[in-house]
Amino acid sequence: MCLGIPGKIQSIRDDAGLAMGIVDFGGVRRDVCLQYVADEVAVGDYVIVHVGFAITKVDEDEARRTFEVLKEMSQLDELQWMAEVADASLKGTEKPA
Amino acid sequence: MKYLAEYRDTDIARTLIARIKARVTRRWTLMEVCGGQTHTIVRQGLDELLEGAVEMIHGPGCPVCVTPLEQIDKALAIAARPNVIFTSFGDMLRVPGSECDLQQVRARGGDVKVVYSPLDALALAQRHPEKEVVFFAVGFETTAPANAMSVWRARELGVSNFSVLVSHVTVPPAITAILEAPDNRVQGFLAAGHVCAVMGYTEYEPIAAKYKVPIIVTGFEPVDILEGMAMAVNQLEEGRHEVENQYVRSVRRTGTEPARALVAQVFELANRQWRGIGEIPMSGLRLRDEFAAYDAERKFGVGGLKVTEPEACKAGAVLTGRIKPPQCPAFGTLCTPERPLGAPMVSTEGACSAYYNLAKYRTSESAEAAS
Ligand code: SF4
Repeated sequence: MCLGIPGKIQSIRDDAGLAMGIVDFGGVRRDVCLQYVADEVAVGDYVIVHVGFAITKVDEDEARRTFEVLKEMSQLDELQWMAEVADASLKGTEKPA
Repeated sequence: MKYLAEYRDTDIARTLIARIKARVTRRWTLMEVCGGQTHTIVRQGLDELLEGAVEMIHGPGCPVCVTPLEQIDKALAIAARPNVIFTSFGDMLRVPGSECDLQQVRARGGDVKVVYSPLDALALAQRHPEKEVVFFAVGFETTAPANAMSVWRARELGVSNFSVLVSHVTVPPAITAILEAPDNRVQGFLAAGHVCAVMGYTEYEPIAAKYKVPIIVTGFEPVDILEGMAMAVNQLEEGRHEVENQYVRSVRRTGTEPARALVAQVFELANRQWRGIGEIPMSGLRLRDEFAAYDAERKFGVGGLKVTEPEACKAGAVLTGRIKPPQCPAFGTLCTPERPLGAPMVSTEGACSAYYNLAKYRTSESAEAAS
């Protein structure tokens, strides 16, 4: 029960004083209590849902920023790695084993 | 779900693994607190990929696994009553009590229902005013806001046939207990991202300072976990011990304040038993006195129940990282997911079940290593 899943808010309504909404989890839609994040979310935002409650908003800009930094780093590492392999093989041809 | 599911990117994962391996000057021992992270680590084989650089000890962060036997027995006693509808998250149904489990109570005629949200249990109480509806309120800080709301709403709506059997635990005292143990080997923690999403991470700052351990608030995707490990390793190599937030996209330093506020209004800190570990001071939540009318223990007079745990199950040693599941003599023989002896074999978030289901091939290896 402890696994939180990100989902996208489809609609928001007031249910006798409680903020509720429909959240889409990759095609599966569920009724979710949005009370705890009501002040900061709108339709289209992502939230992390635990046992029917949104417990936090996912900051999409932050998600993208972090991902792009990591992605760039992995590409740089890849380049460096390829350069090292190339260097090693060049040296290898100069200096037969 | 662009930029959310992408945290499974294998190029990034590979780079992070290479970076961690290049960075270490010795092997470091880290603990991931949350069962969800254990699941990812074992399934993706991250611990194997980092062999020699980082050893992962699987922590006690599976709520199903740490719910003490006496709370399960109380649940069984209440669920067997004729006028009760007993509701629970699905993963509690097969947790063995002293005599049987909730599923067996249901087979014998008990009215046991699985709900997705505690609000579903409250709605059931509204539809069945002639019955007592009881909800098994278990979990860490992630489920506490939901469970607190169900009690708060019950009072607001005047639903008097609803009550909760509370068995809530909190993470920081468990981390402290692990660090206080004389044979502790953990040098750094990956803190559970979603617990911190609710609570923030200020509670961890004094722990990191006092015990000189890095604590990294970490998410749940493979890239999150690897980045969390890389941050912990960096700190260890540099001799730093701070709280750092890897899971920035979902966690703020002060958490989700409305959720924290309602949890504090409905619950208060209390001593709690942890299954297989024993009592940890002020490590759990109980209902405040003003909500006594919604306390199933008081309503059904089961508060005094005490039991002893079976000898064969080594859950305590597993949950504190002293042994890996395959080192438990019952693992895979007396204890399997079909016939669990202890709770860590029941839930998919449990370390024993994660090893059994997702890394069967490793069983023989680890058994050899342990012998
Ligand atoms: S394998 Fe089974 S008996 Fe052994 S510690 Fe895990 S749950 Fe307990």
